[in-house]
Amino acid sequence: MTEPTRAFFTRLSEQHQPMLESMTGTVRFDIADGERTEHWYLHIRKGDVTVAHEDGEADCVLSADIGTFDEILSGRMNAMAAVLRGAVRMDGKVVLLTALQRLFPGAIEAPAEPPAGYARRQS
Amino acid sequence: MKADVKILDGNTFVVSDEAGDIEASPTDPTGLFSFDTRFLSKWVLTVDGQRLNPLSVDDLQYFETRFFLVPGTGTVYIDAKLSVIRQRAVGGGFHEELTILNHDEKAVDLDVRIEAGSDFADLFEVKDALQKKGEYYSHVDDGRLVLGYKRETYVRETWIAATAACAVDEHGLTFNVHVEPHGEWTTDLHVTPGRGAAGLSIAQPKYERHAKSPLPIMERSLERWLDDAPTLACDWDPLKRTYERSLVDLAALRFSPVSLPGHYLPAAGLPWFMTMFGRDSIFTSLQALPFTPELAKTTLVALGMWQGSRLDDFRDEDPGRILHELRFGEMTAFEERPHSPYYGSVDATPLYVVLLDEYERWTGDTKLVRSLEQQARAALAWIDDYADLQGNGYIAYQRRNEQSGLENQCWKDSWDSISYRDGRLPGFPRATCELQGYAYDAKVRGARLAREVWRDPGFADRLEKEAAELKRRFNRDFWVADGQYYAIALEADGSKVDALASNNGHLLWSGIVDKSKAGAVARHLMSPAMYSGWGVRTLAMGEARYNPIGYHVGTVWPFDSSIVAWGLRRYGFKQEAARIAAGILDAAEFFDGRLPEAFGGYPRELTKYPVQYPTACSPQAWSTGAPLLLLRTMLGLEPAGDNLIVDPALPVGIGRLELLDIPGRWGRMDAFGRGRVDVEKRPRARAQLGVVDPAAAGKQRGR
Repeated sequence: MTEPTRAFFTRLSEQHQPMLESMTGTVRFDIADGERTEHWYLHIRKGDVTVAHEDGEADCVLSADIGTFDEILSGRMNAMAAVLRGAVRMDGKVVLLTALQRLFPGAIEAPAEPPAGYARRQS
Repeated sequence: MKADVKILDGNTFVVSDEAGDIEASPTDPTGLFSFDTRFLSKWVLTVDGQRLNPLSVDDLQYFETRFFLVPGTGTVYIDAKLSVIRQRAVGGGFHEELTILNHDEKAVDLDVRIEAGSDFADLFEVKDALQKKGEYYSHVDDGRLVLGYKRETYVRETWIAATAACAVDEHGLTFNVHVEPHGEWTTDLHVTPGRGAAGLSIAQPKYERHAKSPLPIMERSLERWLDDAPTLACDWDPLKRTYERSLVDLAALRFSPVSLPGHYLPAAGLPWFMTMFGRDSIFTSLQALPFTPELAKTTLVALGMWQGSRLDDFRDEDPGRILHELRFGEMTAFEERPHSPYYGSVDATPLYVVLLDEYERWTGDTKLVRSLEQQARAALAWIDDYADLQGNGYIAYQRRNEQSGLENQCWKDSWDSISYRDGRLPGFPRATCELQGYAYDAKVRGARLAREVWRDPGFADRLEKEAAELKRRFNRDFWVADGQYYAIALEADGSKVDALASNNGHLLWSGIVDKSKAGAVARHLMSPAMYSGWGVRTLAMGEARYNPIGYHVGTVWPFDSSIVAWGLRRYGFKQEAARIAAGILDAAEFFDGRLPEAFGGYPRELTKYPVQYPTACSPQAWSTGAPLLLLRTMLGLEPAGDNLIVDPALPVGIGRLELLDIPGRWGRMDAFGRGRVDVEKRPRARAQLGVVDPAAAGKQRGR
């Protein structure tokens, strides 16, 4: 497991994800590293994500080698284009990938100050 | 030139010649297409080595067609002892039932051959000479012909199979057919596209199982669609035909996003634009709201799912931005095109909030409004945080992807559409006027949703304050005082790009127009310089770049005119709105109820009929939606709480107009309108709505 991928999973579980609030489901990443395949299991419940380093049945499964995931999760490769050309294989519900890919970093670092519209309403 | 025959289901479609054959070339873009890729570029039927000659083509439905053929081509007299029928339906891939009838008293033995091949071209490259980077292959597998293309991990395959016994080779299928006297022979052919990497996902053809003749499930879905739509009754028959045509075309234009199977949104146009477009899907959903509100719902959910979340120059993506176009072909996959998705549109984002509010007003579906709160807030935030490229508080556009991004990111997206009166083109960034109207409307509507659904009065207050401020500044900065209309755009230095254009009608629709200025704007829109008699010209006659057959500089766009009519109604100009409806609906009759994307801006008295602008794409979603919106404006349909207000203003010539079972938060309601019929005009062979005597026209304009 290399840094960008590990960092992404860590970040995902540490805070509530507003962009996943309408989403519930499970996603598994099958990450090939030479002979080994590592599994990361995400349980998304209305914006809260638990991440486990384990295998299991999932609604959506994404498979690729570690190099590809590192590129995607560091913002150097676009996930949708990667799926379209088969660099990442996707099985199951597309809707979960669509939701999750919005959390992947972009080609440019976002400004340090988050825009005002992203402040969550206190209720 | 060979006529094209098109059938489709969502983004899977077949374009062939009149014999049902496919022989693609750069100038003849025929084929089986699916997910923006051509899966068949060759599909040629021969009998004893001879091509077949079309006798007739029956377009049964938009997804199904039947070709009647006889052997032999050319000019010689045909004395055929054989008939060949190809009945083809799209669904997943396509299905073809091939039947040969022997009319002779003797039995015949025939060599029937289907020659098949595919270039797997991306939709973006079908009209170019191909320089593919991957490798082709084909093989016979379990009695099936498999055509394939592979580039690195990218794999696309076409599977071809027949039910009758045949010899399969790498270029096609051969049948040795024996047909008894007055007998027939038949086979089913299945063509199935496959996408993906190792382990292809092969689409299951969508036919009813065990049906005697394979019935695509679309046929039932079309019946249900038509049954669910409101019923139109009226004493002017052409309108009924236009309405029916619009509903069927809208059904054909439905597109189910891969992430929302079983749900449909309107794609932009058929067949080359069968994908999600932010702007087109939103406008068509708005037009169709009183008829098929579920289109709006799917549009909102799907566009919300793809809402921009980061900065990406290649895709012109920002956080909160609503996409422009989504594609699935090879060039998108290898990032030679930015459509994965591409975000280069500046109107889709404010219009997203407009649609969300309008959808709730009609349906009362507060659940959806709550579930899309994040998306709506992000869209509203985008207007202020990312769209103010001139630093003056107005939405403006300038592409960051200078290779393959769009230069003009408003609906008038051609290079010369935004100009000064004298023809000069402004620089970038450009702040076109209608964008400010949409932003204003988005803030006003967002405030209503914040107050009533999200229960955030503080946010509502802020949005209302911003909207009022925007309106005040806009009426100062964009108003061309010596012309009494709004400039088409503002340059970064504050210069008013002062051409008079139909964008003024969109401003009325948005509500950003000061009441004191509305009369002048309406007079312009109905003036001979702008109203051609059929509709409102995109650019006023008299402007330097005016050209009656210029794409956005003088043609009439039915979609545009329908929004103008909506705007006129909003400010109380009922008769003017009715005149626009009359002109557009008259034009629709000349096109058999199917309005084109655009037609010539020539004065109606000059041409007597609307001159079609040549485009490859028909029907087009927002042209299809125009008659629907015009029905709404003629009847003056407006939701008010749980009631539907009906305030009709019909064009002269329609005496009775009834729309029954209008769906909405009220359940189903009927709307009735009565109008004036000029009795003396009725006996004419063909009554036209928009032809009124000058005295009456003058009265309608209130002069």
